[in-house]
Amino acid sequence: MEVFLAQLINGLALGSIYVLLVTGFNLMILVARIIQFAYPQFVVLSMYACWEVLRLTNNVFLAVFACISTSIVLNILSEPIFRRITNMKGIDINASFVASLGIAIVITDIMSHSLNYGFPIAFPTSWVEGSLARFGLIMISKGQLYALAGSIIAVLLFFYLLYRTKQGRLFRAIAENRFAARLIGIPIVKTSIFSYFIAGLLGGFIAILLSLLLGSASPWLGEFVALKILAVSIVAGLGNLRGGLVCGLCLGVTEAMAMGYLSGSWSNVVSFVIMLIIILIKPQGLFGTSIS
Amino acid sequence: MPTVLSYFLGFTAIYILMCWAIYLPYRVGQLYFTTVACMAIVAYFSGFAAREWGWPFIFVLLVGIAIGAIIAYILSHAIGKAPCFTVVIVGLAFIFIVKTVIENWELLGGTVGFFGIPPVNNLLLIAYILLGIVGFVIYQIDHSRLGRAASVVFVDRDAAASLGVNIKSLGMFYQTIAGAIGGMAGVLYTFLLGSLSPEFFAFAMVGSLVCMLFVGGYTTMWGVIVSAPILGGIPILLPVTISSWRQVIYGILLVLIILVRPEGLITKRMLWNLKGKNRYKTASNLVNTRREKVG
Amino acid sequence: MKRIFNVLMIIMFILVFISFSSFANFRQEVVVDKWKIPFLNCVTGPIASIGEYMSWSANRAANEINLAGGIAGKPVKVVNYDTGVSPDKAVEEMAKLVDSALVVMGPVPEACIMASVPLAARKGLFCMTASTSYEYAIKYFPWTLSWFPPTDEKLPPITATWAKKHPDMKTVVQFLEKWACWPEMAKAHAIGIKSAGVKMLKDVEVPTDAVIFGPLVVKALAQNPDGIMLTCNAEKAAKIIIELDKNGWKDKSKILVFSSADDTSLYTTGGKYLEGVSVYNYINPDCENPRWIAFRKAYKEDHNGIEPGSLSTIYYDCVYMLKEAIENTGVTGDPTKLAKERIKIRDYCRNIKGFKGIQLTWDMKNGIPSDKGTFLFIIKNGKKKLIALAGKTK
Repeated sequence: MEVFLAQLINGLALGSIYVLLVTGFNLMILVARIIQFAYPQFVVLSMYACWEVLRLTNNVFLAVFACISTSIVLNILSEPIFRRITNMKGIDINASFVASLGIAIVITDIMSHSLNYGFPIAFPTSWVEGSLARFGLIMISKGQLYALAGSIIAVLLFFYLLYRTKQGRLFRAIAENRFAARLIGIPIVKTSIFSYFIAGLLGGFIAILLSLLLGSASPWLGEFVALKILAVSIVAGLGNLRGGLVCGLCLGVTEAMAMGYLSGSWSNVVSFVIMLIIILIKPQGLFGTSIS
Repeated sequence: MPTVLSYFLGFTAIYILMCWAIYLPYRVGQLYFTTVACMAIVAYFSGFAAREWGWPFIFVLLVGIAIGAIIAYILSHAIGKAPCFTVVIVGLAFIFIVKTVIENWELLGGTVGFFGIPPVNNLLLIAYILLGIVGFVIYQIDHSRLGRAASVVFVDRDAAASLGVNIKSLGMFYQTIAGAIGGMAGVLYTFLLGSLSPEFFAFAMVGSLVCMLFVGGYTTMWGVIVSAPILGGIPILLPVTISSWRQVIYGILLVLIILVRPEGLITKRMLWNLKGKNRYKTASNLVNTRREKVG
Repeated sequence: MKRIFNVLMIIMFILVFISFSSFANFRQEVVVDKWKIPFLNCVTGPIASIGEYMSWSANRAANEINLAGGIAGKPVKVVNYDTGVSPDKAVEEMAKLVDSALVVMGPVPEACIMASVPLAARKGLFCMTASTSYEYAIKYFPWTLSWFPPTDEKLPPITATWAKKHPDMKTVVQFLEKWACWPEMAKAHAIGIKSAGVKMLKDVEVPTDAVIFGPLVVKALAQNPDGIMLTCNAEKAAKIIIELDKNGWKDKSKILVFSSADDTSLYTTGGKYLEGVSVYNYINPDCENPRWIAFRKAYKEDHNGIEPGSLSTIYYDCVYMLKEAIENTGVTGDPTKLAKERIKIRDYCRNIKGFKGIQLTWDMKNGIPSDKGTFLFIIKNGKKKLIALAGKTK
């Protein structure tokens, strides 16, 4: 029981990261109609910016600012690329996946090539100092607590934005029917840029939480996560926010349990096999999708 | 022939085969990466059969192709008409699972890899004969009823269904062929290299295949014939300082081509112009015009 | 617009043909007035950082040799070829070299060895696969050599030495990341531990793409071990140590980090959590050899004060070994005698006697080194402090 509880906490901490990433990813699908495969890479690059500023200035606020602004800038910079792709005649959502795959390859390779000589970066350990509470094997670290609390707050804020504000209604209108949204006078481009801004903000926030939870980043972190994020959002149903929430947490817990109770080398396979079976049975995802 | 040229040609043949294996299911709008998993399975099978059981090459080749096709056929029952991203993630997950199974299987050398596969004479010649055969078959498919049906499915599934196209069996057909080609590429790859490691069949391979297919052009089978040698040749021709950035070059090329020329370097329209026929009217064009009128 | 694209297409086609025809006269010249030593290294990809310092140290050796008058009076140049950890690129790069190169350093890493050394062996080209373990090298003997003694001879003495330093340690659990030859190394670790009368608990397997390590640490601690061995990459080892610390692990010296994880990222990631951890490796940072002291100083200057990594000296020694081989066998670099001279270098390197490396002096017998010790350290104030040298008789 003790081991089980300990693993559950670990799994929830991991799951909260997946939830955040999937939420950002789904936002891009819903509003911008793109598969942003490079989203986790943007997050990792923001972590690098955070680390660099922290190393140079040793100022936490500046680092956080650098992290969030990098993420926003990266996302907004990618907007014209994706807008051009989505506006093309006869080109579907697949093209955005392929383009973002290209962006992901470029970012990963630049990180492994020239940032910090390709070595993984490590945040000062004082960020994640020690554990908060510990009963035998059950341990809650500060990083885990921040990650869990942060992701709950972020997701709540995000849902508030989406379902309780005017801007959110615009997002949902575009998500539901682009043509109709344009007909009733919703500024598509402006709203779309704003959605990239929100995705960037969320990305920066994720980058900070990841720095707290993991304490380090490597060029390949983005790629490791990107596949799982894509998988989770498909299992949940592309663009289904609530589904992403549930499935992201489930993936985290499944992975932790598989690592804890089965052999570690097989733990990823366990989650991938489960996802594969779900996808094969329900190609549209568990919670359904509005994307055709 | 210089050794480097023969390897370059060998890899080019394998890459063209693999790109075709992805090109075919993409005719019906599915990015089918399962073929890389088929390639990995067949590569290990053929290495094992050649080294441990001493099977002759031709036998290994035939059985390998059959294995690739059977795996793809079984999977296609589930994803024959699945949406693109379901197929993508099934492919990636499948690659991942196959890789992990190999890594944990001591009989296949585990993470250390599989050594000592006997070489085959005239492999390059065989590879290009196979390439020719596969190219001919794909050409025939593309210019048959099936190919035209696929073009319609790519643009508008509902329209295709209403025209009486059985989308699922079409998808299953293309996926099975892709699996068979993947198996063929796996056999050639094994004998070209002489040893195998699970790391060969990683995400990087998917990345370069996608790059070759989309830069070359996914609307015709001829695109990859141009792009595979060029992109594969980058590391050979350019000096080390530039070629060590080849992943970045691939990525930027991929993004640029989608922005500037979304259908890739070689398009159907271009081929028609080369043939001097101006009445370029394919199914996709017809459906697009229809769409414009409606929308 | 259409016309422009068609013109572009034609240009593309022409480029392809030019590229094809350029192969015809593609031949890497063996310039006799300069020794060009090709190095099949990984400058890009997931372990680019390791490739960077291996090429740094090879270049340093070449510069030193040139300042001292070169090899047989002619300057030497290490030419990098990037494998990018991609097997097909490795083969193509190797294929460039098999017809003309005298000898090859590398390839790096293991997947590239698997892909490209069969070709080199077929063409009779000697590869100094110095950064890999015995398991990979032995498959291609005599066309390569093993830089390390056989794993099951080399590792048990060191883990046994560690176990004997902690008589109260009754059980040990090992974290194992299944990558390349690490499972073999893990087996050898366990043999040593058992020979010291300590019980091995069930291994904890570390997934290659693990992001968090809490579940693994809980799994290990649930077995109530007295000692921990880490057979996983540097970053993961550091994170596991941090996680162990958070879970209240007290005696750090009962954590043993294996050589491949004793790398820069262990220290940058682990920081002060590493205090007191045991590490084993094949180089000793406090070695008194003046060559080493100069090497270390220059390395730190070029790398933001980071200590040289565990594989950093290998290709430095390798260049010197080639120098010795070329000078002592009278190799001329003449392309017409290529096959013979390749074999001369091969046989010399594989049976070199009393080779003075930057740290140790050792012999080779049929491509296998003998009498090459392993150092056991404890980390004090972020630096490694030598506590034992195992497996060296002389």
